[in-house]
Amino acid sequence: MRIIEDRGLRTGREAALAPWRVLAAAALLLVSTGAAQVTDQDLRKPDPQNWLHYSGSYDAQRHSLLKQVNTTNVANLQAKWLYHMTGAIDFEAVPIVVNGVMYISQWNRVEALDGRNGRLIWQYQRQPATRGWHRGVAVFQNKVYVATADASLVALDTRNGNLLWESKAVGEGLRMQGAAPLVAKGKVIVGGSGRGGGWIQAFDAETGQHAWTWNVIPKPGEKGVETWEGDSWKLGGGPVWLTGSFDPELNMIFWGTGQPAVDFVGDVRKGDNLYTDCIVALDIDTGKMKWYFQNTPHDTHDWDSTEIPILVDAEFKGQKRKLLVQANRNGYYYLIDRTNGKFLQGTPFVSKLTWSTGLAEDGRPMVVPGSEPTVQGNTVCPSTAGATNWPSPAYNPDTRYFYLIVQEGCGVTYRATENFKVGAAPGLNSGTGYMESPADQENWQLHVRALDLTTGKTAWSYMQVGSKHYGPGVVSTAGGLLFAGEQQGQFTALDAKSGKVLWHFNTGGLITAGPMTYMIDGKQYIAIGSYSNVMAFGLP
Amino acid sequence: MKLTANRVIRSRRASLPILAVMGVLLAGVPAYAQRGNQGGGQPPPLPAGAAAGNPFARNPQAVVEGQEIYNRSCTACHGKDGSAGDRALALGAPARRYARRTDADIHDAIMKGIPGSQMPPSGLNDTDAWKVTSYIRGLRGTAGDAPAPGDVAHGEQIFLGKGQCINCHMIKGKGGLSGPDLSDIAGIRKMASLVAALTKVQHKIATDGGTHDAELLPLATYQPVRITTADGKTITGVLKNEDSFSLQVLSSDNALHLFDRAALKEVFYIPKSIMPTDFDKQLTPAEFQDLMAFLTRQVIAAPQVAGRPGRPAGE
Repeated sequence: MRIIEDRGLRTGREAALAPWRVLAAAALLLVSTGAAQVTDQDLRKPDPQNWLHYSGSYDAQRHSLLKQVNTTNVANLQAKWLYHMTGAIDFEAVPIVVNGVMYISQWNRVEALDGRNGRLIWQYQRQPATRGWHRGVAVFQNKVYVATADASLVALDTRNGNLLWESKAVGEGLRMQGAAPLVAKGKVIVGGSGRGGGWIQAFDAETGQHAWTWNVIPKPGEKGVETWEGDSWKLGGGPVWLTGSFDPELNMIFWGTGQPAVDFVGDVRKGDNLYTDCIVALDIDTGKMKWYFQNTPHDTHDWDSTEIPILVDAEFKGQKRKLLVQANRNGYYYLIDRTNGKFLQGTPFVSKLTWSTGLAEDGRPMVVPGSEPTVQGNTVCPSTAGATNWPSPAYNPDTRYFYLIVQEGCGVTYRATENFKVGAAPGLNSGTGYMESPADQENWQLHVRALDLTTGKTAWSYMQVGSKHYGPGVVSTAGGLLFAGEQQGQFTALDAKSGKVLWHFNTGGLITAGPMTYMIDGKQYIAIGSYSNVMAFGLP
Repeated sequence: MKLTANRVIRSRRASLPILAVMGVLLAGVPAYAQRGNQGGGQPPPLPAGAAAGNPFARNPQAVVEGQEIYNRSCTACHGKDGSAGDRALALGAPARRYARRTDADIHDAIMKGIPGSQMPPSGLNDTDAWKVTSYIRGLRGTAGDAPAPGDVAHGEQIFLGKGQCINCHMIKGKGGLSGPDLSDIAGIRKMASLVAALTKVQHKIATDGGTHDAELLPLATYQPVRITTADGKTITGVLKNEDSFSLQVLSSDNALHLFDRAALKEVFYIPKSIMPTDFDKQLTPAEFQDLMAFLTRQVIAAPQVAGRPGRPAGE
């Protein structure tokens, strides 16, 4: 390679035509025709070399077809690069990769990296610069979409981070919850919360124009408001803080909603409190609800149903089914017919589940009386932290296993006073809180667990020694591997069939982000956020 | 081979300061500069409500009048245009941390002088003192703090038409990609650096000299390059970043390219910035003034945030 010193060496053409004018003319020509980078077809069927969605694909299976790194060679995996986002906190975002360019984010901040070496290409910083957990961006055509702290949806140019448009979420006092948007059928779909409760909104991907809003909490005159005694619907709740999935054939998006307010006090809001703690199916064109399934009616333990709904087409009890499967924070693993929301099966995936004796035929939990929070504290398993939480699960069609991060253990839940009155005690808007159970045999412990897709039975379980709480997600690959970060900093590759550890690397930082994989120039990389670093691994 | 290449890169930077500063042409680091917490020539952010009490805050005419009053009353000590005189400091030095930062503080010093120093009461009336305050604020703040007078709508026409600025620069989502986004240019750059970017071939944004880089920000952004690949293909564009082993290039047809240095036949660093610097000649004085009026009004207001982002409720 030569590097030419630029001491007046000019070709005739350049001398005749100042370079900026050549470039400007070319730019003018191509600004309007600029080739779309990510098409709708790409989003529907992503090239395995890219990672285009928070959950990898519309069905949210987080299963990559890349297999250059596989069970036979993963032991040789080595660190390829590390990028440090200065001033940032622990990543919960999953990197997005388009044609070798990686997009990473924290609140109000997006950066584009060269996926081969982690070199910074551009950076977008929105005011105010703020620290907080954030879960990622979405891409379509030449735009990167990110939800911001001021409840705006922002579109940036994929090539240099220019701000192309911004749209405020429609409503008063709204907050984005930092989840990665989902782009489908030319719409950008984001969730959030506000004084009136949670919401999902859709915006035109090209212009940013608001398309529709679906509110979690029904108002008088709307179906579902009868599940809130009196005017307790005004308490709200149901924040939407993770990303949903999409079935293009059914034209439905599937999303989980959060807990009712007040979190730990149920007697101020008697009833089922729809549509909190639900999985809902919305028509993507209109935002109209097609069906709902409520995992935890009248929740008093803050068990959001926001966990990622995975879509799988499989045989269940001799019949081909379009399934939606979800490992819920309340401890049950659910199989639902996603065409109509019909409950098919629910099985516990944690060893201790004390609040319910099982699920009725329609999926409604049979609640153990006296399991609600008390002033003295009431032990319940799983804890409010949940049997699982935001860490993303995965499904591998080869093993037919559903993989997830399980948090075993129990919690003690409290309420502030016997006669709790809304607003009487400022600062206690949740009604109070929870802690880890002090009993040794009920302490928190994280595991990676493989469940048989349709029976829900545990195929294998890998204990992440030392990791207790929340943890990161997993990614499955056609190389027969399951990559799982450990909260305590180890990045681990497990045999997808057996759960046996095949490789591990100490990243030196807390891991609370989901891993992903991509390929560039014929080389497969596996990347993960580790505290405020992003690291990528590959074969020698 | 690689070692040699490294040395060449370094010597290139050292011997040709213009290349090193190309990255900060006009708004060379637009996204990063918005953060305002680095050295890099940025004045420290003003406290909220800094202009409180000033009846002429952000008033372009008052800034012009304030400058005239300043040139009559203050230059003996502070120098012309606040550039430092024999007996007193510069009033608008980049990145200097001034003790008197709010308009009320500056006004107070003009009216009453600073006890214990050589700064006497100016003898100006209250109105004139506020106008001088607005002028000094303009020296210290960014261009948007004291927008230039002129026909803003006509300035926008120049931006879109005769000036051809839109070909490379974007404002609020419309325009080219090769140059920096100018949507917030008056919020992050001083008037003087805007004028310099449009008229001076070798202009640079002064830094305060003592700041250590805290981040791995690209230094060569917007450097024009012509790449020749191993198979002889040439790609012209601007650098987004580079190191000893790789380059990231935005080509003139608006595509991002990721290159391995070792796999390239040639990397030619085009000596002249894409940015023309003869606008004082290409435009009439009135047109230039109107363009400045337009550019100095390109400020993005800080978004209003309801509540604090953080770990979402319920986790």
